[in-house]
Amino acid sequence: MSDAASHGFLGEEFLTWLWFRTETEGGEFDLGEGRVVGLSFDDYIEFAPLDDDETEHTLKKGIPTRSSEARAALKSGHRLRRARLVLGMGDLIWLFTLDGATLGLRSVKLPDDDEEAEGPEEVSRERAVNFLLIHELMGKVYREFLRLRLRRDYRANAGAEQARWMAG
Amino acid sequence: MFRRSGSFVAFFVDGRMPDPRSAAFTEALAGQRFRSIESAASEEVSIGWVTSGDPTGDSFELEDIDLDRGLWLQVRTDKKKLPAVWVRIRRAQAERSAGRKLSARERKELKEALMDELLPRILPSVGLTDVLLEPKSGLLLLFGTSTSLKDEFQKLWFRTFACNLVECEPHSLAQRSGLDRDALAYLDEVAPVRWSDDPAQAAPAAPRKLVVAEQAPAPIDHDDDSDDGDNSDDHDDNEFGAGAEAEAMA
Repeated sequence: MSDAASHGFLGEEFLTWLWFRTETEGGEFDLGEGRVVGLSFDDYIEFAPLDDDETEHTLKKGIPTRSSEARAALKSGHRLRRARLVLGMGDLIWLFTLDGATLGLRSVKLPDDDEEAEGPEEVSRERAVNFLLIHELMGKVYREFLRLRLRRDYRANAGAEQARWMAG
Repeated sequence: MFRRSGSFVAFFVDGRMPDPRSAAFTEALAGQRFRSIESAASEEVSIGWVTSGDPTGDSFELEDIDLDRGLWLQVRTDKKKLPAVWVRIRRAQAERSAGRKLSARERKELKEALMDELLPRILPSVGLTDVLLEPKSGLLLLFGTSTSLKDEFQKLWFRTFACNLVECEPHSLAQRSGLDRDALAYLDEVAPVRWSDDPAQAAPAAPRKLVVAEQAPAPIDHDDDSDDGDNSDDHDDNEFGAGAEAEAMA
């Protein structure tokens, strides 16, 4: 099995951790170099089945992370497979679906174009930067997760806290 | 104008490529430029580079590509295919004239005749896929997510620049995240957390090497789980108890 295929679980754990992190500490992440982003869950979440035979759980519309079905899925040990997220930095707001297993960004909607942009070339440049930026920012949020997850004492510390939250 | 929404797959450029603002770069693109199949008389697929300013692939002007932080390229994929409905119509006509079903050989001959007749008159379907390359970081975004497109694109990239692309996913992104040495070493051992029915007691499974040690008390060969090509069991979720014991053994 390739590293890509074998570590899909890490991306799903990242998504689940994002949910835990936004609920327990808020969705603000200080990514260094003066960059602070705010992240929240939007109107779509999908749980990864615990085994191949299990029915898939998808919740959409409203605030699915607040639903009783979502709490029940967490309690039974499911991790997130995909979620629609909102990320903001300053005046910029991105909407996108994050696929846990691949960390692919799907259906990305960029921030509004700058009204003062002069012509299509400047708009194109700005959009290109915003696509590169959302990938970069999510990479840095992922790094924050990895700094906790790739510690050998994860189970005793951050992992135990998340387990209590999932059970609560 | 560059798109404002969409899905993409990210890659890292693995290897050396020409300076994107040099003549060598545009020459490499021109070497694998898109070639038209408009007048082709057979079912064909053509894939190659174009730019937003010239979707024919005849020219590669830097001003059409350069977006300062990124370079905007496009891959054009044309496909020419005989519509199946025409084959069915002509076959029905032939069978009505003959008053019987056509044999397999006759059906094959009919299809070949149809291809000769119709394909030169059929315009290919055209697909344009945006590609955004950030030369400084070697990051590349491909605005298409199908497996076939990814495969074809990676082949085109290699033919063009003689270097590979590594798809960005949890493992490859972790390797490039600037983590410390301990974290990177643990990356190849880390196993999924098995959040059990009682998550308060859940814990990550033990590192895969330790689980192997628990299952087979023989001396651990630390090279075993690297390249044997069949380590799928190593990645299965592990129950809390087994993981805890294995970790305790460490």
